Amino acid sequence: MNRFIAADSATCIGCRTCEIACVVAHEPSHDVETLTPTHFEPRLHLVRTFQVSTVATCHQCEDAPCLHACPTGAIFHSGDTVQVDQARCIGCKSCVIACPFGAMQVVTHAAQQVFAGVTIANGVKAEAHKCDLCADRAAGPACVEVCPTKALHIVDAALIEETRRRRQQHSALEPSGLSAVA
Amino acid sequence: MEKFIEVCPYCGAGCKFNLLVENNKAVGVEPLNGVTNQGELCLKGYYGWDFLNDTKILTPRLRQPMLRHSRQEPFQAVSWDEAIVFTAGKLGELKQKYGPDSIMMTGSSRGAGNEANFVAQKFARAVIGTNNVDNCARICHCPSMVGMMATLGSGAMTNSVGEIEDTDCILCFGYNGADSHPIVARRIVKAKAKGAKIITCDPRHIETARISDLWLGLKNGSNMALVNAFANVLITEKLYNRDFVANYTEGFDAYWNIVKKYTPEYVEDITGLKASQIREAMHIYAGAKNATILWGMGVTQWGQGVDVVKGLAGLALLTGNVGHLNAGIGPVRGQNNVQGACDMGALPDFFPGYQSVKKPEVREKFAKAWNVPSLPDKVGLTLTDVPHAAIEGRLKAMYIFGEDPAQSEPDLDLVRKGFEALELIVVQDIFMTKTGMFADVILPATSWGEHDGVFTDTDRGFQRFYKALDAKGDVKHDWEIHSLIATALGYPMKYNNTEEIWNELISLCPSYKGATYERMAGLGYVQWPCPDVSHPGTKFLYTGNKFSTPSGKGLLLAAEWRAPAESVNDEFPLVLSTVREVGQYSARSVSGNCAALTALADEPGYVTINPADAQKLGVRDQALVWVASRRGKVIARASITGRTNKGAVYMTFQWWIGACNELTIHRVDPDSKTPEYKYAAVRIEPIADQVWAESYVKETYSKLKHNLAAAANSAPAAKPAPSKALEPA
Repeated sequence: MNRFIAADSATCIGCRTCEIACVVAHEPSHDVETLTPTHFEPRLHLVRTFQVSTVATCHQCEDAPCLHACPTGAIFHSGDTVQVDQARCIGCKSCVIACPFGAMQVVTHAAQQVFAGVTIANGVKAEAHKCDLCADRAAGPACVEVCPTKALHIVDAALIEETRRRRQQHSALEPSGLSAVA
Repeated sequence: MEKFIEVCPYCGAGCKFNLLVENNKAVGVEPLNGVTNQGELCLKGYYGWDFLNDTKILTPRLRQPMLRHSRQEPFQAVSWDEAIVFTAGKLGELKQKYGPDSIMMTGSSRGAGNEANFVAQKFARAVIGTNNVDNCARICHCPSMVGMMATLGSGAMTNSVGEIEDTDCILCFGYNGADSHPIVARRIVKAKAKGAKIITCDPRHIETARISDLWLGLKNGSNMALVNAFANVLITEKLYNRDFVANYTEGFDAYWNIVKKYTPEYVEDITGLKASQIREAMHIYAGAKNATILWGMGVTQWGQGVDVVKGLAGLALLTGNVGHLNAGIGPVRGQNNVQGACDMGALPDFFPGYQSVKKPEVREKFAKAWNVPSLPDKVGLTLTDVPHAAIEGRLKAMYIFGEDPAQSEPDLDLVRKGFEALELIVVQDIFMTKTGMFADVILPATSWGEHDGVFTDTDRGFQRFYKALDAKGDVKHDWEIHSLIATALGYPMKYNNTEEIWNELISLCPSYKGATYERMAGLGYVQWPCPDVSHPGTKFLYTGNKFSTPSGKGLLLAAEWRAPAESVNDEFPLVLSTVREVGQYSARSVSGNCAALTALADEPGYVTINPADAQKLGVRDQALVWVASRRGKVIARASITGRTNKGAVYMTFQWWIGACNELTIHRVDPDSKTPEYKYAAVRIEPIADQVWAESYVKETYSKLKHNLAAAANSAPAAKPAPSKALEPA
């Protein structure tokens, strides 16, 4: 089963430290000074309603709609994650529309080409941008590491099992208020 | 790479981390296991350090002393000698002509440190001869200090940050921990996980309200009525601790005489709450084994702030929830060293260590130590007194150090008029700010990260922070600048390092005596009172229920509810309340120069509006709007959220373009002189041409940044060209 990042709304305080950690972790130089308002694309997003503070991010779906939507086969399963081969991405945005969580985003960067020793502008390079579970980061997901209330969790098969078991116990012990099945 | 132990320069949670340095450049931060933060940090601690590298994102570092002979002229860079002679000359002149009380000094509640504050107030008192020294606690928690000194004897948090997670009930009144102190909010979240009951009293459905067992969304401006009703319930339903009240408090009868009118039913209209909710809150609070009250600006930034603090202290006294572990009352201090600035006596009525200027024996002690025949006995002016005192001609000079009143005081138009009336404005800071633009002299100082020192965090904990970088440019340490000017004024003052200053301080303050540099080294943490080196420091106050009032008992003091100063009407139908946001900090000259924090949030800042109000006005989410009050008009970006209550709008005070203090009212609490930031009558004006509006914001912001940069980088005065003798052909 794929693992993914989820926030516990009971402990999230909406501080967005996770968003910055995500951007810094994916910046090749990891240099915080390279961030600007237009060069800031976190792969998880704080969402606040009246009752809830949590993050919206990629669920690393087992049967990923984005993967099916992609015409160039840029999105693929890799271990227990879903990844994007950016070289293949053409920025068609089919995956953005396909994702029910709003987790996918297409970002573009100015592209360059070297021709006869001269670097010239060469349009844009598009990237399908989503949580990659910090696959290239030795310490794992940066967001989970920095969250001051430890509201972010890597939800893997083991954690799901544990959660389900706990809730099954609870539902057995708590009076359910339902009348007995006839 | 080197690592230097620091205390975070932002909020009062006192987080400890290592600042990572390479080639005299800050490159990162890693959290440390400090007493309050336990290895955690928020986004400001993790990513709010690059200002040290002079990013110039908002405004450049001040690198050279500057002065000008008229405020219509540009600044000129000068040598330190010139700047000192000029400043001392002017101060001396004004002192001679108008008297010492014509001069106002400030302390600094951020990166400067305790030692620098000690020297600043010593300068005011021993060198100038005035008690006109104050710090921005004035616009923040002064009501807490005044109210708690009156009821309990001391004005600080009674318990420690760590105890918050082990209490059984948290009554959170006008306090938004998630936005003000994430690391304190962490403790509230942990308390909840451990089974504590949470009650939040706030007009907005803030983060803590989301996880509360009970949310009392009271009407803006009804604090005193609600607190009195709480007291009423505790007494009429016999929920209070009769033994505790009988043995350890005074004033019950007079107290009851006032609160008896404030039944929950009586306050329903004023508070907008149901009587049953008010009763339930007290059932929970009084029913808890140990309960803690936390409050912030939602209690203090009102024309009736001190009374409410006294009322909250009263609830704790009535239920015996003070004087032991995990139960107490906590005014959570905002900035990283606002507690420290007060501890150091940057206050018009107290010497360091809260020793009163009104006591002859105290004045004698300090006069002897400071080698002067006497020290001033008249309580000095507060920061909020300054505009009127200047306009009325009583104040002629202001020496502002590490503060930005042109951003942080209420009714900024009045502040500017006050500045214009002053003959001398000295600004000592690390960045050029709007306040700096009013100066006659600019004295550039070293920043946090470039000097050693001690901060006091919100729960009275002294912690050391260390110099990590060599400051660039022609700058000096704050305490060195004050010392040089003092010397030029005829009072020889010289310190070789901060430890010397600290040793002088603790020799004069019995409650700090045991807090030596040694004991605070590394991750050391000494909470005052700490009367001698073998004393471990004090986690919670009033052990044995012995209070530090003259009688040793806690005083129950009640007051009638008073309505806010302004009223909404058809022209200004909404209440503006100024609040905080988590990703930028205070007057923003520091956080605004951090790339990550600015990427996340930038001008003009948001005004949050309830969806029903937004719909009535025809305002869309993220649209730019005008916000106008009787005093001014600013542009802000609308953020439509159900968390904001109907009839009210909220802006954060960080923004320079969307400056909410252009709109706030200068009306102060009579005892603490703290302004009523939480209630100004405003209206929202939608802007039809959003393209124009976005342009306007960009242009205004650009222009401001350009002006600040130009001022900071002023050239030296042009030297007259040497005359060329005619050369032979």
